[in-house]
Amino acid sequence: MSSKSSEAPYAELHCLTNFTFLRGASHPHEMVGQAVELGYEALAITDECSVAGVVRAHVAAKGQQLKLIIGSELRLTCGMKLVVLATDRRGYGRLCRLITRGRRAAQKGEYSLTRADLEENGLEHCLILWLPGQPFSAEEARWLKERLPDRLWIAVELLREGKDREHLEALQGIGRDMGLPLVASGDVHMHLRARRRLQDAVTAIRHNVPIREAGRKLYPNGERYLRERERLAKLYPRELLEETVAVARRCIFSLEELRYEYPHELVPAGETPASHLRKLTEAGARRRWPQGVPAGELEAIEHELALIADMRYEPYFLTVHDIVAFARSKGILCQGRGSAANSRVCFCLGVTSVDPLRGASLLFERFISRERNEPPDIDIDFEHERREEVIQYVYGKYGRERAAIAATVIMYRPKSALRDLGKIFDLDAEECGRLTKVMQWWDGSEVMRERLREAGFDPDGPRLARLLPLAHELTAFPGFPRHLSQHVGGFVISEGALEELVPIENATMEGRTVVQWDKDDLNDLGLLKVDLLALGMLTALRKSFDLVNDFRGTGHALGGLPAEAPEVYEMISRADTIGVFQIESRAQMAMLPRLQPRSYYDLVIEIAIVRPGPIQGDMVHPYLKRRKSGEPVSYPSREVEGVLKRTLGVPIFQEQVMQLAIAAAGFTPGEADALRRAMGAWKRSGGIEHFREKLIGGMRARGYAEEFAERLYQQMLGFGEYGFPESHSASFALLAYDSAWLKCHEQAAFTAALLNSQPMGFYAPAQLVRDARTHGVEVQPVDVCVSVWDCTLERREDGEPALRLGLRLVKSLSRSGADRLIEARRLQPFASVQDLAARAALDRGDLEALAAAGAFASLSGNRHLAFWEVAGTERPLPLEVASEDALHEAAHEPTPLLRTPTEGERIVADYASVGLTLGRHPLALLRDSLQSKHLLSARDLESLPHGKSVRTAGIVLMRQRPGTASGVTFLTLEDETGQVNIIVWERIGEEYRRALLQSRLLEVDGELQRQEGVMHLVARRLIDRTPLLGELVTRSRDFH
Amino acid sequence: MALECSHLRMPCRLAVAPTPLAALVLARAGPRPGALPLVMDPAQLIGKLSPLPLAMLRWPQDTLGRLARIGVRTLGEALRLPRAGFARRFGTLPLQTLDRLVGRASDLKDRFEVRARFRRRRELLYELENHAALSAVLAPLLAQLGEFLTARQCGVLALECRLRHRTVPPTCCVLRLAAPLADPKQLGALLGERLSALVLPEAVRACELRSGVLVPRVLGSGGLWQAGEHGGGVASQAPELIERLRARLGPEAVYGLRVVEDHRPEAAWRVREPVMTTPPIRSGSQTDPGRNHGGVDRRPLWLLPVPRLLDERAGVPRRRGALRLLGEAERIETGWWDGAEIARDYYIAIDARGARLWIFREREAPHRWFLHGVFG
Repeated sequence: MSSKSSEAPYAELHCLTNFTFLRGASHPHEMVGQAVELGYEALAITDECSVAGVVRAHVAAKGQQLKLIIGSELRLTCGMKLVVLATDRRGYGRLCRLITRGRRAAQKGEYSLTRADLEENGLEHCLILWLPGQPFSAEEARWLKERLPDRLWIAVELLREGKDREHLEALQGIGRDMGLPLVASGDVHMHLRARRRLQDAVTAIRHNVPIREAGRKLYPNGERYLRERERLAKLYPRELLEETVAVARRCIFSLEELRYEYPHELVPAGETPASHLRKLTEAGARRRWPQGVPAGELEAIEHELALIADMRYEPYFLTVHDIVAFARSKGILCQGRGSAANSRVCFCLGVTSVDPLRGASLLFERFISRERNEPPDIDIDFEHERREEVIQYVYGKYGRERAAIAATVIMYRPKSALRDLGKIFDLDAEECGRLTKVMQWWDGSEVMRERLREAGFDPDGPRLARLLPLAHELTAFPGFPRHLSQHVGGFVISEGALEELVPIENATMEGRTVVQWDKDDLNDLGLLKVDLLALGMLTALRKSFDLVNDFRGTGHALGGLPAEAPEVYEMISRADTIGVFQIESRAQMAMLPRLQPRSYYDLVIEIAIVRPGPIQGDMVHPYLKRRKSGEPVSYPSREVEGVLKRTLGVPIFQEQVMQLAIAAAGFTPGEADALRRAMGAWKRSGGIEHFREKLIGGMRARGYAEEFAERLYQQMLGFGEYGFPESHSASFALLAYDSAWLKCHEQAAFTAALLNSQPMGFYAPAQLVRDARTHGVEVQPVDVCVSVWDCTLERREDGEPALRLGLRLVKSLSRSGADRLIEARRLQPFASVQDLAARAALDRGDLEALAAAGAFASLSGNRHLAFWEVAGTERPLPLEVASEDALHEAAHEPTPLLRTPTEGERIVADYASVGLTLGRHPLALLRDSLQSKHLLSARDLESLPHGKSVRTAGIVLMRQRPGTASGVTFLTLEDETGQVNIIVWERIGEEYRRALLQSRLLEVDGELQRQEGVMHLVARRLIDRTPLLGELVTRSRDFH
Repeated sequence: MALECSHLRMPCRLAVAPTPLAALVLARAGPRPGALPLVMDPAQLIGKLSPLPLAMLRWPQDTLGRLARIGVRTLGEALRLPRAGFARRFGTLPLQTLDRLVGRASDLKDRFEVRARFRRRRELLYELENHAALSAVLAPLLAQLGEFLTARQCGVLALECRLRHRTVPPTCCVLRLAAPLADPKQLGALLGERLSALVLPEAVRACELRSGVLVPRVLGSGGLWQAGEHGGGVASQAPELIERLRARLGPEAVYGLRVVEDHRPEAAWRVREPVMTTPPIRSGSQTDPGRNHGGVDRRPLWLLPVPRLLDERAGVPRRRGALRLLGEAERIETGWWDGAEIARDYYIAIDARGARLWIFREREAPHRWFLHGVFG
C-alpha cells in the first residue's frame, strides 16, 4: 500500500443509481455530479439488469470532464455476480439483448439469467468484472475465464468490513493462479455517505420488513458511496486503481451513437419513402379539395414535403398513416393532434380533420426542427374502448422485437412514500392510514406539523423525526423512482431489433412489453415515438352517430356535421354544456358566458384560455376586455401583429410565445423550441436566464421598447409549462363542436352514447340524465322486458326519440347474465320472474342485482315483491331446466302482503343500484327540514343580489383543487332545483377541513358573488349535513 | 331478581312473557315507558311483539338484510309472511325461531354445566411442621389428581397447593408449567421442590390441591428404548431438567439466548424463554448484504454489558499499558432507527499480558476508545 499516491487516478466501474429500484439511494445526476467533483476519470452506471437510468446520467455528463460508461450488474440464478460494461455500440447491443432476455423470462420487476444465457449471448465487445462473494468460489472465475478470456477482471471491493486485507490477498492469489487482472471498484449505492439512512430504509422497503428487523439485510456500514481518491489510495494498491482507468479507456461507447432507423416496410416495391408519401399526400389532397387544391396550399404542401424529406422523416409519417388507415378500416374513430399532426400533409393523409384554411397558420416547424434533429411528435386519440385493437395491430405488424411501449418511471409521491416508510417504522395499518390522510391528495410534499398534531402524531417524537426527513428525500424533486410502469400509449417502433437499442421488459398487463426508457429519455436521444391514446369522447361520438343515423337514417360522421351552426354557439354561450367535450368543466362553464364563442376559432381559444398558463400569465382579462370593447389593438410592429392578431394582441397559445421569439427577437425555430422546453422546466430547475438576455437583447436590437420586451418576458415566465398548444386545441375544438352540435340537436342520442361510454367525462350518469330531462328528453327506466345492455332510443308516438336506460347501469349485473336474458327474451317474452330466472339461467346474484335496480317492475311490481320472487326462485342446476312442477308450484304460491316501499326507500335504492333516479331529487324529500333550518335552494339564490349573505345546502357533486389556484377549492353542490358553485379559500378550507373533505351533503354559509352572469358563493363556514341523508348513496367525483 | 342484580351493581331489564324467547325479545327491546313489559295472556303476545324490530332476534346480518329488501323490518311483518314461502326463501331455522317465539313450538333449554376442575382437601389429624412429611401427605391427593386427569385425557398448566394453619392465613404455593402435565410423580417432584423453598409460619393443619384450567393433552406414545439407551429420550428430558431448575432457582434464573440479525454487537442477541424442544438446525445461507458473515467469527464470546471507556495516550488506547492493534478496522455504522445508533471502528487489540481484547474507536468526535469484549 503506497501512501504517496493521493493523486491516484480512478474510475468507478460499479455504481448503482436509484434506478436499481429500492437499492440505489442516489439519482443518476447526483452520481455524475459527485464523480465530477471528486475528479474521477470515468463513471460506469451499472444498474442491476437495467439501463433505465443511463439517459439521465448521459444528459448530466454532457459537457463535463467525465467519461460515462454504460453497463449493468447481473446476478445469475446460480448466484454468480458480474458487472458487464459496453465497450462500443455492438457491445451495448449485446448487453441490451442479454438484459431483455433476463427481464422477459421473469415477471415484471424481476429478471432471471443463467450461465447458459450468458454463453448464448457471448457478450462480445463487452468487458466483464467478476464480483467474487465472501467466501468466493474459484469455480466461477474458472468458468468465466474459459468463456471470456482477455475481457475479464476480478473486481476487488474493499468496504472496511474487517477482512479487507485477507480478501485482497485471497483475490491476488487467485488472480496469479489464473492469470486474471485485478481492478478496484466500490459497489457504490449512493453518491454521499449521508444517504446511508435512506439506503437502509429503501432496503427494508424492498425486503418488506420493519427496519428494526432488517438486521443483516442492511449493510453494516456506509462505505458504499463515491469515495474520495485519497481514501481509496489508502485502501487499495495503486496498480488496482490505475487498472480502473485502463478498463475505462477501453470503453468508448456513448449513447450519442445510437442511431434510429425508422421502419421501412410500408413502402411498396419500386417506390422510395419520399415518392410514396408524395403519392399518398397528393391522393389525399384530391379527396380533400375535389375542386382542385388551392394554390397557396399546394405551395405549403411542397414546403412541408421538402422539410420532411430533408429530415428523412417520411417513414414516420407513413407509420402514422398506416395506423390511422387501419383504425379507419375497422370503423374506429381517431384524430391526431400536435403541430405535425396539423400539418397539411397530415390533413391530406387523414390523420386530422383540422382544415388548414379553417385553422390558423400552425407552426409546423415546432416539432420538426432542422437544427435540433428531434423527431416529430404526433399524438393520435382513439375511441377508448377500442384502442387495444390498434395496439395489438401495431404489435402484430412489427412484432415484439421491434415495437414496445415507452416506460413511465413511477416516482414516490407523498402518499406512497409515507405508506412505505410507515410500514418499515412499525406504524400499524390504522396509524399509517391516519398519517397518509394527513397528506391529502392535494397537499404538496411539505407535511404540516399542525396537521400531524391534529391527527394525533407528535411531529418532534423520535419516530417521526426519523421518518419525515426520509419522506422528504423520497419526494424531493425530481422524485425518487420506485418502479417502471407503462406509458399510457407511447409506442417505439424501429426498423431493426429494438432490443439492441434499449432493453425490453414485461409490463404488468398481460401481453404488454415496455422499453426501459421513458418518453423524456427517448426524446433526449431523438428516438421516434407515436402516442396512441384513448379518448372517451371519441367513443361517445361514434356511438352518438350510430344511434342518430340508425334512428333518423342520416349519415352523420366526425367532422361532417353542419359547420358553424349559430344555435350551437347560442347554447355554448349559455354555458349549457354538460357532456360537451373539453368545455364542460366548471371553470370552462364560468368562462363561456364571458367569452361568448361564436365560431370554431373562438372554441380553439376557449379551450386554451382556461388553463393555468394564461390565467397565471394574466392574459385572460386583457383578452376578454379587448374582445368585449372591440377597440382597435395597436401592435409595436407588423411581425408582432402577424403573431398576435388572431388573439387580439394577447398571447394565449404556447406556439405564440415561440413565434414571438422568432418574429420579434430573431430566434431560429430551433432556438424557439429550446425556449419552449426551458419554459416547461424553469420553475423546477431554472435555466431560462440566458434566454432572457437573448430575448430582450434581440428585441431591443429590432427596435422594440424595453418595456414591451420585459412584459413579454414576464408573460412567458407566467406561462411556464402550463401553456396549451394551439395545435392540440385546434383538434379538440373540432370534437367540442361536434359534441355540442349533438347535444343541441340530438340530446337523447348524445346522452345515451355518453351513458354507454362511461366511465368518461366530468359528470356521473345522474347529472347527465338530469340534464337531459331538464332539456325535455323522456327517460324510461331499466326494464327486464325491454332494456338491452346499452341505453337505447325508443320511438315515441310523435316520432321523437325517448331514452331507455340499459342493463349496463345495473350495479353488479354480469355481462354474461345480461346477454342470456336478452337472448331468452328474444325467443319469447317473459311471463314472470320465475320464467325469466329459469330461461335465462340467471344466478341469484344477477337476479338480486336486477331486483335492486327495480328492473322487474313490469313483471312483479315494486322492489319488495321483486325480491320476494327472486328469493323464491330455485337455483338452476347446470344443464337442467327447472321442472314444470317447480314452475307450477312457484306460480301458484300466494303473494304475500308486503309493504310498498316509501319514496325515500325508492330513491335510496335507485342511487344504490343504478346511480341515478328518475324520481324526485333526494333533497326534495328533505326540503322541509332544510327550510326549517333556513337553508335556501339553488333556485332561491338565483334571485338574490351580489353581496348577499346566504345559507344553502346540497349534495357535493365535485371537489376540485387546481394545483395552481393557490389553495382554493371549488365545490359544486346540487339540490332539486339546480347547482351552486362554491369557492372555498384556503383559510376556510383549513378551518373546516373535515367538512370540506368528507361531507356528502354540505351546508355552506357565505356571500353571493355575481360577475358577468356567473354566480358563485364564497364560503365562510361549512357544516357536514351528511347524516340527514340517512343511507342515501351519492357519489362525488374528486378531480385533481 | 331486580334486587339481586342491584346488589351486584349490574344493570338488568326484566320482562315476562309466555315463551322464553318472547321474554328475551321484550327484555332486549327495553322497558316501555310506564311499565315492566309483562305479557301474561298468550293471545296478546303477537300483538305486543309485532311492532318490535326484527333485529331483536339477533339473526345474522345477511338474513336481516334479505328480509329488509322485501320490506320486512318488524316481527309483525315477518310473522305475516306465508309460512311455506318464508321457509323456502329464508330456511326452516328462522321459521322455527318464529314458532318458538310465539309458542307454536316448544322451547327446551339445556342444563347449565360447570367446567370441571380438580379441588380436593385433606384435613390432618395432627399438626405438621416437617417439610419432608408434606410430600407424603400430598401423595394421595396427587394420586387422585392423576386419576382425575387421566380419565379426562387432560393436563394442567398450573397447580395450587394451599396449606392451612391454625391462626394465620393459609400458605399458597403455585406451580406453573411450561407444558401440560398429568403425571402425579412429576407433579409431586416439582411441587416438592417448590414446597421445600417455603417458610411455614405455623404448623400445617390441612392441605388442599386446586387445579387450574384443564388443558387437553396429546398423549405421547411410549418410547421403545429406555431413556439414554441408543441416545433416545434425551431431548424429551431436557424440558424436565429446565422445569426442575426453574422450580428451584426461580423462573428468571434460567433463560435461553437468541441470536438477532443485527450488525450492532450489543443488539445481536436477546434473552428468551428457554426452548423446550430441540431447536431446528439453522440454515447457514444468508442474503447478500451479510456478505461479511465472515465477520461473525471475529466476535468475542464475552461481551461487556456496557462498553468501558479506555484511557489513551498519544492516540493509543491503554489498558494496563498501551494496547497493540491487530489487523484492520471493521467499520460498523447502523442502528439509527431506534435511538441506539453506533458508528465505530472495531479492532482486535493485545494488551501487555497477551490478552486479546475487542475494542473500538468512535467515528465521531471526540473519537474515544472503548473496550467492548474479551476473546476467550
